[in-house]
Amino acid sequence: MSSSRFTPRGFPRVPLQNGIGRYICQLKRVTLRFCKSSGSSRGIRDFIETDLISYAQEHPGTAVYLKPRRHKSPSFVAEYLNGEREVISCHNFTAQEMIKWLNLYTTRSGIPLMRYAKMWHTDCPSIQGVWSPFTNKDPALNITQFPSKELSKPVWEEKSATEELLEMINKQKISDENDDDTQKVQAAQM
Amino acid sequence: MLTLRTANRVLKVLKTTQICKQPFHRWLAPTLRELKRRKDSLGPDKPVHRKTFLEWNYDTEVYAFSKRLGEEFNNDLLQQALTERSYIIREEERQKNVGIEQPTLNLFDNKELVSKGSDFIDDVVKRYLRTVLPRLPEEGIIGIHKYLTSIETLSHVSFHIGTSELILCAEFPVEKLTLSNVLKSITAALVESSGDSRAALFVRDFIITQIADKDLHQFWEPEEPIKLLSEILARDGIQSPEPRLIGSSGKNTILACFRVGLYTPHNKQMIGLGFGETVDIAHEMAARDSLRKLFGTSDNILLPFNLKLDQLCESNVKNLFVNEWSQKILPTRPMHYELRMAKETCSN
Repeated sequence: MSSSRFTPRGFPRVPLQNGIGRYICQLKRVTLRFCKSSGSSRGIRDFIETDLISYAQEHPGTAVYLKPRRHKSPSFVAEYLNGEREVISCHNFTAQEMIKWLNLYTTRSGIPLMRYAKMWHTDCPSIQGVWSPFTNKDPALNITQFPSKELSKPVWEEKSATEELLEMINKQKISDENDDDTQKVQAAQM
Repeated sequence: MLTLRTANRVLKVLKTTQICKQPFHRWLAPTLRELKRRKDSLGPDKPVHRKTFLEWNYDTEVYAFSKRLGEEFNNDLLQQALTERSYIIREEERQKNVGIEQPTLNLFDNKELVSKGSDFIDDVVKRYLRTVLPRLPEEGIIGIHKYLTSIETLSHVSFHIGTSELILCAEFPVEKLTLSNVLKSITAALVESSGDSRAALFVRDFIITQIADKDLHQFWEPEEPIKLLSEILARDGIQSPEPRLIGSSGKNTILACFRVGLYTPHNKQMIGLGFGETVDIAHEMAARDSLRKLFGTSDNILLPFNLKLDQLCESNVKNLFVNEWSQKILPTRPMHYELRMAKETCSN
């Protein structure tokens, strides 16, 4: 879907710390371009007739322009506060689709689409601070006497065959005892 | 009959092989190539102002601008805030050239608003910083304030709330100085249309939030932290701190790392911790760390951006300067988290 060859890679960003203070809709201007007669503009014409007024009322911070063009395929141009401009083709859209696409581009930040390297990002404050070899080190090491017997052992030792056998026998013993217990309990109940 | 038909067929085949039918326009690609070459030789297009487009209505744009910010502006004042002196001069020149003796524009420039807005922004920013960082020396407050009211920051904010196309000025593209001036004048216009507290919220939401993800130490850092720390502690009656090497790894390699802690001599309390590639650097970092703890600007500080104008301290109170800084004479101000808690209980 998102290949690094074509899609730029980056972290989620927000223009102008939007939302820390107050949220401002980043879509500053939208131009609906359509034809008054052709069939492919049918949906966008329906949208203009029925829903455009309510859209403009809901988003007073967005300037809406209508641009009828004879025998041209319909499209809309979204212009953002950061200077980006996107053209979206609305060929053969229905009015419903028009609402959905316009809503998508109204709620976007205007930063070009990118593949997110991570879904979060902080420049500052850093969550754990600057890393050093002593970060997250066990404080018990401060009072350990070296050379220490415990720390000299290998981190992971493989069990020998004898040990495994002994373990199996022990397990069996325990299960036998358990069986005996259950039998005793049953006998008592009888 | 039959012979005639075969002869016809043969002729047809011969015709198709002889006359090469072109399946596409042979002239198209070379023409486009030539057009592109000529266009490239002219260099890149000059940027054009958005107002030259067909779909442009200045009144609509100004209306959308004020609605976008969520503020109620006096229209005349907003128009005045967006008008630069250079625009008026140019328009008058233009009218004179056409032959109008006494040009009338009915436009006022934003010069007064700029100075007024600049004062207001300075005042609010300083009061906010002193409220939120009461322990930070005045030098630090001045450093952060300088960053927040620099032309770079203000023009960035101004551009991102969408003023660049609405400004009436002679130059294009709009200069950074003009952008920052217009932001100041818009603030002043807001003070006059909706009052101080509303305008203070505007400054808080758009200008002060610029420090939200910044490292506060990049704006001001003491030059000799070890010396400064011992001076400050001496004022509080504490002897100069004792550095101890509390960790080292990779000694005598290029990845050497030393960790130094600073301890107070009288009660053996650790007041700072730092690491570095040499012991001296680690010592200095430890001193910086303890200064940050004293000044209340640790690395993971979260500033509250929900303060209102009446929650800020007065504009005549100042923080202590570095050369008089002492824990004994720290100003007593409501701490910001207390303010935050107060606000939360109010909203609940």
